Amino acid sequence: MRNFLIWLIVAAGLIALPHTLSFSLQEILVFLVINVLLVVSYRLLTLTGEWSLGHVVIMGVGAYTSALMTKRLGVYVPVSMIMGALMAGFVAFLLSFPLFRMKGFYFLIGSFASAEIIRLLWKRFREPFGGPKGLKRIDSLADINIGPIQVDFFEPVAYYYFALIVVAVCLWILWRIEKSLVGLTFHAVHWQDKLAQASGVDLRRYRTLAFVLASSFAGLSGALLAHYIGTINPNSFDVELMVFVLTWAIVGGTATFYGPILGCVVLTLLNEVVLREMGFQQMRPLIYGAIMIGSILFLPDGLESLVKRAMAAWKRRSTPAAEPGKESA
Amino acid sequence: MNVKTLFKGLSRRSFLGSAASVAGAGALSSSFPGMAIAAEDNVIKIGFLAPLTGPVAAWGKPGLDGCEIWADWVNAAGGINIGGTAHTVEFVGYDNEYDPGKARTGATKLIREDGVSFVMMLGGDTWPGVEPVADKTGMLFSTLLPSDLSPDSETLIAPAEVHPVYNVTGVEWLAKNKPELKTAVMCAQDDALGLPSVATYLAAFEAAGITMQDDPLLFDPATTDFAPVVTRLMSTDPDIICLDTCYSDYVHPICEQLFQQGYKGQIISCTADFYDQIIEKTSKEFMEGFIFQFPDFDDPAMEAEGINFKNANAFFEEFNKRFPGQWGAVSWEYAAIMDLWKAAAETAGSTDPAAVKEAMMAGGKGLHAFGEAEWWGSDLFGIDHALVGDWPVVVIEDGKARIKAMGSIPDWYAANGELLKKHMAAYGQMWDQRT
Amino acid sequence: MLDLLLQTGLNALYSASYISLVAVGLVLIFGVMGIVNFAHGELFMAGAYVVVALYSGFKLPYLLVAAIGLIFVGCLGLLMERTMFRPLRTNPLGGLVASIGFLMILQALASMTFGVRMAFVPPVTQEVIEFSERVRLPVQRLYVILAAFGFLTLLWLFLTKTRFGWALRASAQDPEAAALQGISINQTAKIAMFIGAALAGIAGVLTAPLISVNPHMGHSVIIAAFIVAIVGGVGSLEGAVVASVAYAFVHTFVTTFFDGVIADITGLSLMLIVLIIKPTGLFGTADRA
Repeated sequence: MRNFLIWLIVAAGLIALPHTLSFSLQEILVFLVINVLLVVSYRLLTLTGEWSLGHVVIMGVGAYTSALMTKRLGVYVPVSMIMGALMAGFVAFLLSFPLFRMKGFYFLIGSFASAEIIRLLWKRFREPFGGPKGLKRIDSLADINIGPIQVDFFEPVAYYYFALIVVAVCLWILWRIEKSLVGLTFHAVHWQDKLAQASGVDLRRYRTLAFVLASSFAGLSGALLAHYIGTINPNSFDVELMVFVLTWAIVGGTATFYGPILGCVVLTLLNEVVLREMGFQQMRPLIYGAIMIGSILFLPDGLESLVKRAMAAWKRRSTPAAEPGKESA
Repeated sequence: MNVKTLFKGLSRRSFLGSAASVAGAGALSSSFPGMAIAAEDNVIKIGFLAPLTGPVAAWGKPGLDGCEIWADWVNAAGGINIGGTAHTVEFVGYDNEYDPGKARTGATKLIREDGVSFVMMLGGDTWPGVEPVADKTGMLFSTLLPSDLSPDSETLIAPAEVHPVYNVTGVEWLAKNKPELKTAVMCAQDDALGLPSVATYLAAFEAAGITMQDDPLLFDPATTDFAPVVTRLMSTDPDIICLDTCYSDYVHPICEQLFQQGYKGQIISCTADFYDQIIEKTSKEFMEGFIFQFPDFDDPAMEAEGINFKNANAFFEEFNKRFPGQWGAVSWEYAAIMDLWKAAAETAGSTDPAAVKEAMMAGGKGLHAFGEAEWWGSDLFGIDHALVGDWPVVVIEDGKARIKAMGSIPDWYAANGELLKKHMAAYGQMWDQRT
Repeated sequence: MLDLLLQTGLNALYSASYISLVAVGLVLIFGVMGIVNFAHGELFMAGAYVVVALYSGFKLPYLLVAAIGLIFVGCLGLLMERTMFRPLRTNPLGGLVASIGFLMILQALASMTFGVRMAFVPPVTQEVIEFSERVRLPVQRLYVILAAFGFLTLLWLFLTKTRFGWALRASAQDPEAAALQGISINQTAKIAMFIGAALAGIAGVLTAPLISVNPHMGHSVIIAAFIVAIVGGVGSLEGAVVASVAYAFVHTFVTTFFDGVIADITGLSLMLIVLIIKPTGLFGTADRA
């Protein structure tokens, strides 16, 4: 019951949130929601212990697919988004054959190289990918015009609600996956490589499964992005954004489900809102970099460890009579 | 709460509300200095939405620097006179990092929170992200890249650079003055600036009767070592090597390599920023006769009758004093756009975007930095929103760049328009081909 | 045609030289510390800006500037080791994030101090060795080739003939066993970081007069270095050198005979093929991934 209440408050807060913000903050909020899906899907992949540098290009596969579907084939937008997600998953499936022969650093760079090849192909082939300039005038969701209900998805608030619903559903699915038997196996693949293998778990199959699932959700986030901005180009998905995703996940912490979300929200607010409003221009990357180093040095377990500590402290205070044995259990 | 108010924030109607309606929603952010929403009386704010950090910053930051000088000078001379009252000008910068999403956010902030009257952009990748914002707010935008123009955006103008069309003037001058040069090769970076420029040079060479000995050689924008590119260019013994619209980061090492690999022929390029440094890296003799399109603003010809950029020589001096080593084409181009905007706003007696645009485009003519010009472009861009007229042909003589002639772009186009359209179409650069 | 092939060969040799200097440093740091140093390209950039400041600016003799650049960038490496990588020794992902932060700081510092546009470096020498009309080797490029050869030989001697080098190789092969042997991890980490950074720095110093110096120049170099490190096999210095030469030749020849974008795609594809056939790179062993 208490959990239900908390979720109700969170939902109400998220619904009310855009109405308290300025216009540019509403825009940033939309990107933030999309990036939350991206970074959480990234975490699913990292559960198996592999860190990819290709996730953002896979996101781009979803974006390009969905955009081309609507532009060339006239597919209705939400449907094209799902196709984008499926295509991203399919490309990940193909990539898994070479990539999962590698591990660790090799996987990191191997994923980067294969992603970079995809990105260079977008650049090289003006037909159908639009070359270096990419695609533009990508349709957004069709306006809704039913009697008194008028929704124009160009409006950040409207698109925010749409994205929020999509992302919330995806996060719920990702959460269920993690808590399922499959999710537990992902953890096992990471921590007990040899043991899991000995107990009959086909490591590679589970790695591939995690990779394909994570990539599909990344593809969906790419499609959400493409239909909001209305333009994509190969540079939108370059290694620079990948580096940001990586740092969101690590600075936030990947031990918990909410860690990467925390990292994404805090670092984005810092970079796009706080530092800009303080009037930094050329200094902005410098301060951002320094904060990244500081956070990793002083919070090696991520921002999530702060939450954990706060929750532990709160629990201790609210239940002072708790038996010591209970805590450690 | 009825359904109508619930959906109030979701429809276009509320978007069109003026900046004043922001006050409530923006209360949260207005606690920061510099975020005050209501414009103070008699201050005109101009948005500057370009990359200020990151790899493309060289196309934005020096422009904002130039605008600061422009604003200081205009404000010192009494500001902008709108309907009898003097207004001071202030530039509000937003770093879009050359990212369409951040550009969209920036455009929203500049228009709906800062209350700017006009937004200057670099354009390129960032414009398609801003386009819907321009559509729905009616704000006037300018770009340095006319390839952003299309009939779908009524409020985007390209009043300074008509890149890459002006490159034809250099080739035309070359063909007239050195008719013995008959063969050419070209290299270009594979990006949004390189490709339309390739098409333009191909058309210009064809019009001038110069044959291409090889397909244009494309390289990735991240290239650092140009020896292989130069070796390939020289392998066919051309009379002319064309560097297309290479950025200065490429022009310098390419020239240095051409020099070291023993090239002795003609070079033509769109830009040659810091050419004095190229001369130092090569030799005066090697660079003699190098043709490009961007004059130094200390050229005496820039003070001639008909040049509309006021006090060019002094501007150049002031810029180099404040920002040594940062001068380039974009340093003056944004300021030149402001000259045009100021004149139009004073004529219109208003800073309203629609009124300013109407005054600016009245009669289909305008005062471009390099002389009177016409609003043109339907053929290539689908809309007459590029200010096109004469463009200088600059040649290096005895180590100094000098304006040798003013070439007329409309005249060239009247004679060779079909060629240009053919090559633009082959490279997928016509407005109706853009995906 | 023969001339074209020979000239392209010389171009490739130069390219192999500076890439191998950068890549060997990257591999050394990874081998000893287990950290992917994303800021390695920015160390290269820092070396180039030392030349901008001292050689273009203060007109100091080039050799002196080269020595200062080597030491300065090496010290940047020590700074990174002491402030970031040492506290994060048990946290390689943390080290990676910290190096990304360091990269952003170096780029921003360069932009703010020297401007966003390219910086000027006057030529050190304009002499050219002419083998024939069409086959020419600029002396400045020869310097880079010789320096790469010299520094890599020195490194090899250091690693095989000295006690420090022996300790370094031991901890690169097996840090725990090395620690048990009484080799100080802090000591070897410092040496590896100094040498790795200094090699990147000297590559920046030597190529500064030949390429465009700007705050973002590290980006294209680091990608080549990553490819080379992987193809050679992580932790293998010989592998890095061999792979640098192979990569530079393939990339240069494809650029000359096709175009630069295809060359990039070819380079990356070849790397993937190598990894598919031998997932630990040409000279790598499985347990050091």
